[in-house]
Amino acid sequence: MAEVEETLKRIQTHKGVIGIIVVNAEGIPIRTTLDNSTTVQYAAQLHHLTMLSRSAVRELDPQNDLTFLRIKSKKHEIMVAPEKDYLLVVIQNPSE
Amino acid sequence: MAEVEETLKRIQSQKGVQGIIIINAEGIPIKSTLDNSSTVQYAGLLHQLVMKTRSTVRDLDPQNDLTFLRVRSKKNEIMIAPDKDYFLIVIQNPSD
Repeated sequence: MAEVEETLKRIQTHKGVIGIIVVNAEGIPIRTTLDNSTTVQYAAQLHHLTMLSRSAVRELDPQNDLTFLRIKSKKHEIMVAPEKDYLLVVIQNPSE
Repeated sequence: MAEVEETLKRIQSQKGVQGIIIINAEGIPIKSTLDNSSTVQYAGLLHQLVMKTRSTVRDLDPQNDLTFLRVRSKKNEIMIAPDKDYFLIVIQNPSD
């Protein structure tokens, strides 16, 4: 558990990191550095999107699987690292 | 038109690039370096995925917009640059 905390702290202190959310397999946020309403919104939307991306990858090649997702937008970049039971979501402002 | 060809050639000769597809706003591939069936498959799935990703970005913040999408999988990485009228898709093997 301490290792998890340390990792989150390390990511949080990275230049430009706006927020981190850890989402479980059901799309429920279990850790976050953002306010509640933003967290819930991001968790739900990104969980859904990650599932879609994963399906797309598997449909193109059933032996393949999604390992990372980077969504770059005008205002910031959202990185999603999907695991078996969790999603790690990091929102970063690359220009900072 | 020559500029487009040159750009595609430049990308294609990059290390690890497996294929390039340009699709129009309807998801119809208009240029591709891959075989027909792969092209049609990629174009269809990725067009859908980009539209959903764009909606997600806009749902989270209506002032924001998608500028780039990177889908990393075990076997390769798919990069999509969406524009107003076209999407540029590049499939690359990062370990090459």
